[in-house]
Amino acid sequence: MDSQKVDFFIISTSKYFESYHVPVIREKMLAMDESKWALIQTLQFKDPILILVVSLIAGPLGIDRFIIGDTGLGVGKLLTCGGLGIWAFVDWFLIMGATRQKNMEKLQQVIY
Amino acid sequence: MKRDNLYPILLILVIAGYLWIGISFASGQNRPDDAGGLCLVKHITGIPCPSCGSTRSVLALINGNIREAASLNPFGFIIALIMLVTPLWMAYDTLSKRKTLYDFYSRSEIFLRKPFVAVPLVTLIVINWLWNIYKGV
Repeated sequence: MDSQKVDFFIISTSKYFESYHVPVIREKMLAMDESKWALIQTLQFKDPILILVVSLIAGPLGIDRFIIGDTGLGVGKLLTCGGLGIWAFVDWFLIMGATRQKNMEKLQQVIY
Repeated sequence: MKRDNLYPILLILVIAGYLWIGISFASGQNRPDDAGGLCLVKHITGIPCPSCGSTRSVLALINGNIREAASLNPFGFIIALIMLVTPLWMAYDTLSKRKTLYDFYSRSEIFLRKPFVAVPLVTLIVINWLWNIYKGV
């Protein structure tokens, strides 16, 4: 794939991924077929900051986990009221990383 | 959720759950007539959360008071079921070196995300929450 396109993609979406993901994404996309560009552009990623805000407000109800697609953990948080508040507190620090990881998994389904 | 993550997380949750129930049971606190508890939402906002009362509900179940458990919070039944089944299921998977629990977990995640399942369940949870606030659990 054209390196200009790849760099454009990296610049516009790097905030959705962990920093160590970026070189891998770049490498994979450069080796990828041009026809997948349209598919990649249709992908929608979750903004870690937005999920953090949701987690701060509605963490004990597990809404943050439901939104990023961890339905099972969301149910767990909801049933235990955010693990008596402890899990909800821990998730304030974990949820941004978890969101980036989920975004990477979504992209991986296309680029691998 | 990756397979290597699911089992440790579930193990920690189940152990924490049994410890919490054990402490509540032994200390005699958090009994059905006690309005205390550790819920941060309730302490900060003064409004009970959707799962407030579930510890007392599970304790009522242990004492055999099914009707009391249902009136405190029906979540208690789900929690008691999960806490009974999960350790056995994990032990079975570990001993037989299979991943049936993980497969079930993945399939139920996909199932729960379907709108015709998610919408009624969310409605039920909201109704249960309103009931909790009305009861003042």
